[in-house]
Amino acid sequence: MEDMLELFIASRDTYAADYIGFLRYAVPILAAVLLLRCVLPLLTFKREPEIWAWLNLKDGSQIPITHWENVIGRSKSSDVCINFPTVSRNHAVLTRYDDGSWTISDAGSKDGVLVNGKPVQICALKERDRISIGGVEMKLQPITEKQEIRQSQLRTKAASGWDTVANLLILTIFQCVMVLGYLLTGQKEHFSSILEGFGGIILCQWLLYIFYATIHRSSFELETIAFFLCTLGMAAIATVKPGETVKQLMAMFLGVVTFLAIGWSLRDLERAKIFRYVAVVAGVGFLLVTLVFGTEYYGAKNWLIIGGMSLQPSELTKVCFVFAGASTMDRIMTKRNLILFIVYSVLICGCLALMNDFGAALIFFCAFLVIAYLRSGSVGTVALAITALAFAGVLAFQIAPHALQRFTTWRHIWEDPLYTGYQQTRALMCIASGGLLGLGPEQGLLQYVFAADSDIAFATIAEEWGLILAVMSVLCIAVFGFFSIRTARVARSSFYSIGACTAASVLVIQTMLNCLGTVDVLPFTGVTFPFLSNGGTSMIGAWGLLAFVKASDTRQNASFAVRMQKGSEVA
Amino acid sequence: MNRVTKRTWLMGLFIFILLGGLVLFLWDYARNGDDWVSFTGSPHLYNNTNIGAGTVTDRSATMLLDIGEKRTYASDTTTRKSTLHWLGDRKGFISASAVSHYAAEMSGFDLVNGIYDTSGTGGTATLTLSARVQNAALNAMAGRKGTIGVYNYKTGEILCAVTTPTYDPDNVPDIGENPGGEYEGIYLNRFLQSTYIPGSIFKVVTTSAALECVPDILDKTFTCYGKVEYGEESVTCETAHGKVTLKTALAKSCNCAFAQIAELVGKQNMVKYVERFQVTEPLAFDGVTTARGNYDVSKTAPVSFAWSCIGQYTDQINPARYMTLMGAIAGGGQAAEPYIVSKVSVGEDVTYEAKTTKTDRLMSGETAETVKSFMRNNVQSVYGDWNFPGLNVCAKSGTSQLGGGQTSNAMFAGFVADESYPLAFIVVVENGGYGASTCVPILSKVLTECKAVMDGE
Repeated sequence: MEDMLELFIASRDTYAADYIGFLRYAVPILAAVLLLRCVLPLLTFKREPEIWAWLNLKDGSQIPITHWENVIGRSKSSDVCINFPTVSRNHAVLTRYDDGSWTISDAGSKDGVLVNGKPVQICALKERDRISIGGVEMKLQPITEKQEIRQSQLRTKAASGWDTVANLLILTIFQCVMVLGYLLTGQKEHFSSILEGFGGIILCQWLLYIFYATIHRSSFELETIAFFLCTLGMAAIATVKPGETVKQLMAMFLGVVTFLAIGWSLRDLERAKIFRYVAVVAGVGFLLVTLVFGTEYYGAKNWLIIGGMSLQPSELTKVCFVFAGASTMDRIMTKRNLILFIVYSVLICGCLALMNDFGAALIFFCAFLVIAYLRSGSVGTVALAITALAFAGVLAFQIAPHALQRFTTWRHIWEDPLYTGYQQTRALMCIASGGLLGLGPEQGLLQYVFAADSDIAFATIAEEWGLILAVMSVLCIAVFGFFSIRTARVARSSFYSIGACTAASVLVIQTMLNCLGTVDVLPFTGVTFPFLSNGGTSMIGAWGLLAFVKASDTRQNASFAVRMQKGSEVA
Repeated sequence: MNRVTKRTWLMGLFIFILLGGLVLFLWDYARNGDDWVSFTGSPHLYNNTNIGAGTVTDRSATMLLDIGEKRTYASDTTTRKSTLHWLGDRKGFISASAVSHYAAEMSGFDLVNGIYDTSGTGGTATLTLSARVQNAALNAMAGRKGTIGVYNYKTGEILCAVTTPTYDPDNVPDIGENPGGEYEGIYLNRFLQSTYIPGSIFKVVTTSAALECVPDILDKTFTCYGKVEYGEESVTCETAHGKVTLKTALAKSCNCAFAQIAELVGKQNMVKYVERFQVTEPLAFDGVTTARGNYDVSKTAPVSFAWSCIGQYTDQINPARYMTLMGAIAGGGQAAEPYIVSKVSVGEDVTYEAKTTKTDRLMSGETAETVKSFMRNNVQSVYGDWNFPGLNVCAKSGTSQLGGGQTSNAMFAGFVADESYPLAFIVVVENGGYGASTCVPILSKVLTECKAVMDGE
């Protein structure tokens, strides 16, 4: 074995230059093919209107119920609009459950909701129950089981198994092409860690696919994109800190497990509601533990050292925060204030302020904005929140002047290229040196700059693998965002669409701060790039957030985090 | 549900910022990528503050420097010494800004491939300098400090720009010790970075100003008694020159006559013409900017103003800029801007080629012609035409007094009024004594070498 390696090293110089010449084109082409195949189904799937029940009115007219959670009211933006003076603007919420049962709840209406003549707050509906909303009588007629089966068969299929296998094969080839590049140009002593790192990702992605296949789930696009990003991250680590590939791989394994666990807990809405309380407590718990036992690195006390492992619990709190913020429609409509959630957000931001973790606080704040707006729809609330942030920001600058320094450097990095602008000017120099196609593995020089594998990983990828690939990595995250917006319309519950949108927002904002901070379009905050930056907890957090996006994927048999519809297995 | 669905646009906003920012960055990359790559300290291109890859040759393709990790300089000692200040040293004490300015072109950078094609080898920069002339100039300086500049005022090519003291980068002396001050300012490129008291070479400026603004100046005569008194102070000549005209005053370098001419021109006009002739303006070419000169008569007594018109007082000129002014006189009021890098190529591709650009019109053609004839007269009647065989040299010498008991700086500036050898020059020998006697022999050797090089081409 040792002899073979020696022989390989001796002869590789002959091929190395030619191979790098080939690899510079092969890598972006493979990536483009792979991403197009993954992204197109996510952005173009048909969102057929589905009818789950009919509301039969006394006059014989029928109103289709097209969602699982429906607001009934006089307001035009209601899902079921009944334009009758005695009907309140938001009168009641009609909710369907996994087992096909329906309930109606009063959304604080003036005249109340009557079922069979009795006023109710919340009531499970049986067939032929008479519902009266503001004097308008109606009956709910759910679709039959047969219709339901037919409907689910018509739903867009996520992908055929073969498409997924083909995608995974392309991804595997992509990874192998990269690894061979390292073997031809890299240092011999790093070979084993590089092989372990990339090999581990390949193994992990196929294992997850086999698991999906056994539970008859076919959609693998989101996961493929995530594995693609993990591969790029592994490439940055292989260059910058080859000794940490296995550590990052382990974090990815844990991330995938977290992804499956959260997905499972989201699969059943009732279960999800219970887990929500656990998440709320855990979210604050993580931060409090860090505050008490944490260690300060680079000015922020956001690290927890346990048995030699360094953790950044605020990354996990993000997942909990999304959980805490998600809510079902009946809850949104019946308990209309956000006070508890605001208190919770302030608590979390307070902890982060005490930790001096500026970047994380900003992300939580944006996540808060998304949740607050999705739930209340009130621009006022959002404006209030932004004002509060402005005050908090002024205070923060008083307390922590180093935060202000980031803003003074912003758009002025070339004026102080050796001190405050050092990382970013080197990043830009190296991005440009790499051009669109990159210089090849381990050929970059940005690796000697601090945080080349995390805070400025975008530039490290651009330098060695080309700007095209680095830009693709950003587009990948944007796709998560677009998909969450698209799928919101067909979501079963607002719990899922709020969850997915918030989770995707956090991913998008982190990418925004990382990538645009590196290239000096935004202030440099030292936030991690999801899936890509070196950092265990960040990796786990990113997979955890992806679970929420996955849970909103309602295409036929697409997501393990969505319960399979009756009869669809037959199809 | 409808409502929540509609509100998801908020996330669209974040995506929009992300993608918008990305587009902004890509646009920035397309416009400024070459600047980023070639910015001082760029890891792939620089070694310390100097460019880290490529080859530099002189105009005759003599290898001056192979920039690699080791930096291999020219094979002979004299060339290494005479060109060092344009190439930079190994430790980064001397920064070669002109070559580094073309770092992007040398790198073979393009937006698609970055620096992939030339990574590690770099391109070739061809300088306008001639190693042969540089060496002749260095030898002629014979260990004295100063600078010599010669450039083609028709094309702008700088043939010679030597600065001394210098050293052999392959055999670095113990500069820190500096016995007897012989290494003082050794890292300085005097041609670019220094300013000097011009002394009498400044009389060319005063003469030009007088020709521009005093209508009957050519008809006037001035009498020199060896001294013009201003209260307790005075302007003096070494001997009384008697009756002189503007032309003979310049030839004899008569201070007393120029004190009178200064009065005719007046402060306001003098300031105006110094500005118009760009005498003190920094000169910028190939990414280098020369030192700014000085002409300040805002709060001067008449005697000081008189001295300022003779090139003393607080006057300061930069050699490269003054050489350009000489070129402009030769060119009839306008000349080519000097440059030092003529071409950069990467493999077969020429990534940069210098173009001749003209200076502003500094003075009228008529004035330039008259000054030219005066300066020609100087050489014929005073400095000796035989020193420059085959060359139609026009010049003015200067002996700038430094005060503090120091020997004067010897200065000599002018040009060759010849279609085949359109060369403007300046010679500065620090503490060199009399301008003409010190500089003429030096210039004689340098111009002869220039002529030979140009004939060879």
